[in-house]
Amino acid sequence: MALDLQMPILVVDDYKTMIRIIRNLLKQLGFTDVDDAADGAEAYEKMKERRYGLVISDWNMEPVTGYELLKQVRQDADLSKTPFIMVTAESKTENVIAAKKAGVNNYIVKPFNAQTLKGKIEAVFAE
Amino acid sequence: MTIGNKYEIQRVIEFLQENKDRTAEVNLSDIMRLTEVMAATVSRMLEQVQPAVTAELTAIESEISNMKDEIARLRVADMKHDRIPQAGRELDAIVSSTEEATHSIMAAAETIMAADPEDAAAYQETVNDQVMEIFQACAFQDITGQRISKVVGTLNFIDERVSNFINRLRLHQAEGHDAEETEEERRARELILHGPQHAGEGVSQDEIDAMLGAFGSTDKGNDAAAQDDIDKLFA
Repeated sequence: MALDLQMPILVVDDYKTMIRIIRNLLKQLGFTDVDDAADGAEAYEKMKERRYGLVISDWNMEPVTGYELLKQVRQDADLSKTPFIMVTAESKTENVIAAKKAGVNNYIVKPFNAQTLKGKIEAVFAE
Repeated sequence: MTIGNKYEIQRVIEFLQENKDRTAEVNLSDIMRLTEVMAATVSRMLEQVQPAVTAELTAIESEISNMKDEIARLRVADMKHDRIPQAGRELDAIVSSTEEATHSIMAAAETIMAADPEDAAAYQETVNDQVMEIFQACAFQDITGQRISKVVGTLNFIDERVSNFINRLRLHQAEGHDAEETEEERRARELILHGPQHAGEGVSQDEIDAMLGAFGSTDKGNDAAAQDDIDKLFA
């Protein structure tokens, strides 16, 4: 299945440099419509206003974490099907298990490269 | 109670027994005699107790004096007003310089990405200029290393003095006491916030992929191998 390079993607991270890195990587991969948010609360508000084809979120943010955002999205009937990739430095086994149980579609551990990001996006849309 | 005290109390008891059947009113002489007996009793008791109390007070004074010396050795004022604020400034400078360097490197990369490769000469000039920018930005590593060394020096300074303080005041027994969980610790526990792991700790991207596969994600064919990887993780 070919990826829709026009689909809107929401990148959620409290570190502006990481948003910039992911934006550039997505641009390199051909994605043209990328939006961003600084934490889970801001991301959820944006998701209520606009339908995103994919959310790429960090875990550790304040006040609302990516893990909380994931659970909130999965409990929201309107948003529950949104593909969600966690991109985080949290690499303990319990984090991966908790994210999977909460309904994450894929999990990328930082630091990562463009190939990994591309592979995970493709895997999510191949499901 | 000492033998001497028993003796004195016995004298008071005997005095009271001798006079218990008296019908006449108590006179001044009786009161004087009783006072004399009781004064002697109290006096003997104080004589016996005083050296022990004095010794205890001297020991407490000595402990307080030792503690004051140990606190002075901690150089708390030095830590509070000089070393810790200085370490904070070094860390702020590290954050600032790495952010600045990252910005410069990314700006250079973005300029190269945006350059038009059709004009070969202009493109090469742009690439060369931006590569030089990247090299210059990487110089932050040298200064950052020096700043980190100063912060590590401060941490060692504090560690050494606090460790000596604990050893000299024999505070080890307090180590086993469970400290009350702070709000920050509670949040970290409930939201599973561990932060970045060091090399060799945590799980790798391959292990994560295997775990997600085992949970029934994309690659059903690798379930057996994924389960092995998970078993290794829990071993």
